[in-house]
Amino acid sequence: MLVVLESRDLVPGAQACEGGCASQTSIHCPTTGMRANGARTRVRMLKKPLTLLATGVVALPFVVVKRSRLFKRAGYAAAFREASTFFRRVRMRRRTLSLTAWLTVIAGLIVISPNASLQQRSDSISVKGGAGDITGEYQIPDPNWPQWAHPYPKPGYIWGSQGGVFAESPNRVYLANRGELKLPDKVPPNFPGNWGFFNQMAATQPIANMVNCIVVVDGTGKLIEAWNQWDKLFDWGRGPHQVYISPYDPERHVWVVDDMRHVIYRFTHDGKQLVQTLGVLDEFGENDDLTHFRRPTMIDWLPDGTFFVADGYGNTRVVKFDKSGKALLKWGSRGTGPGQFNTPHGIAVGGSPPRVFVSDRGNRRIQVFDTDGKFLEEWPGIAPHSMLMSADEHVWAVDSLTDRIVKFDLSGHVEFSFGQFGTRPGYTWAPHQISADSDGNLYLSEVFGGRTQKYRPKPNADPTKLVWGRSLMPLGNARTN
Amino acid sequence: MIKRMMLLLIALTVVVSAVHAQSKPDFSGAWKLSGTTPPNYPGSAGWGVPSPSLVVKQTSTELTIQSGQYGPTPMTVVYKLDGTDTIWDAQSITQSGTSAVVKWRTKARWDGNKLILFTWNTALNQMRDVMTLSNGALTIQRGTEQPGPSTNATLTYAKGS
Repeated sequence: MLVVLESRDLVPGAQACEGGCASQTSIHCPTTGMRANGARTRVRMLKKPLTLLATGVVALPFVVVKRSRLFKRAGYAAAFREASTFFRRVRMRRRTLSLTAWLTVIAGLIVISPNASLQQRSDSISVKGGAGDITGEYQIPDPNWPQWAHPYPKPGYIWGSQGGVFAESPNRVYLANRGELKLPDKVPPNFPGNWGFFNQMAATQPIANMVNCIVVVDGTGKLIEAWNQWDKLFDWGRGPHQVYISPYDPERHVWVVDDMRHVIYRFTHDGKQLVQTLGVLDEFGENDDLTHFRRPTMIDWLPDGTFFVADGYGNTRVVKFDKSGKALLKWGSRGTGPGQFNTPHGIAVGGSPPRVFVSDRGNRRIQVFDTDGKFLEEWPGIAPHSMLMSADEHVWAVDSLTDRIVKFDLSGHVEFSFGQFGTRPGYTWAPHQISADSDGNLYLSEVFGGRTQKYRPKPNADPTKLVWGRSLMPLGNARTN
Repeated sequence: MIKRMMLLLIALTVVVSAVHAQSKPDFSGAWKLSGTTPPNYPGSAGWGVPSPSLVVKQTSTELTIQSGQYGPTPMTVVYKLDGTDTIWDAQSITQSGTSAVVKWRTKARWDGNKLILFTWNTALNQMRDVMTLSNGALTIQRGTEQPGPSTNATLTYAKGS
């Protein structure tokens, strides 16, 4: 057994561990995604990976303390020779150290696991799913996914923040991009193509070139449509926030929310026409104003076409509309009490009788209402960016605190969860919209990581642990609602 | 008879236009901040934080404000009063805290005696100021947007530099 600690220039985590082993996450800052000292320490494990890693963790402080004087006196060459000798001694004592190390690792995993932190926030939520379960019942996504939609982005640029994704079918997936970012002059040869790889800053922070904001790809990622004719709509904002199709609309209009410009657009299915704009472009209103939004975020529908808008960052309310887009009522105000919000960011509608599930992200809870805004209950301890009402009538929530994807039944019981912060394939950095197709493929768009990942189910995956998108009405049927 | 009627109509139009123009308040002058509600303005990174002083110049076509309310550096911003956009580039602080060339846009429109000013830039900052004059004091109802939280505040300015 041998532990090799190897310092290298900034290189992608994606290339280092295709299997996504949990040990690699320890070199990421879970909050910022930064790597210490701008370099990466690669832990190469030849045998018994966890034992070796833990041995290194236990041994390293002794090396540093014991050898600090030697470093000063004899220089680094002698120090490395001494270190090698030390590691040989470590191997001699490996059984004892291994036992200690195993205990350390197990204790560490219990303390730092997202499950544990989620449970600490709320006793009412017991999160199921294994610690370190990164992709659940899904395979690790293809890291070449950002190469989808070729020839975009143009040479020298990459996708910026990915606000939204909506899978209309396995072969028609809408991507809502917040523009393109200029690549650094020097890019490592193993650069996988997503902004998060650099671990410098969130993809939302650089000023983006607002082009190719809405594109449609097939199941292999091949570009089908680019709605470049609408890119100008997103100038002066930060690009599309999220994208949807109502499951109950036989014409399959495409809805795009633009939070920074305070409007929601409804396009024809082919993107050729903008048929409706809700709100007033570039003008925000106050909480009691039903004609203006103030940074709306998300939409969901009832079967009769009635829809609900989370509005949002600014107005901290929910607005109910009839199927024509006429505002009917609103509820909510800024605050922490029942029915009050701090950034209602996600919304999902479903159940019988139907209920409105609102992600009260800033207050770290989900609130549940009837369709007229009467408060029913709250589920504390989770702060979702986005939520999805699945075909099997469960709420899937994407937690902004842990980057975990959590499956709730409609009573607020957690049935399953998976996911973890990171920038390598399968990990996520601020998953902002969740979507799933009828084949069980899951799509997560990342606003900070700057990519959208497609997760295919593992062979023999437990279907109850997969996200199933609601089926849409067949395209072309006469409008019935 | 028709000639007299035409002259009367023209005169009436001129008078109405003049009265209308005169009814618009003139915000020109040097202004000093006298109060804000809430007292601790919640803006961040300098965006929208009220400037302790403003110098406003108003003509029939545009309003010019010189202040530090657009960020850490004092800046002169022009608003056309016909509702059209003014667009320019300026070195500004971005969301990542770095300095870069940022595109700016302003627009203004009258709402009765209120003048509504809109300011945007591509560093994702937005500001809406509703300006009114009352008893010699300038009141600005300010709303700001940026990727962080939205803010609302009432700013009061008194004459003086």
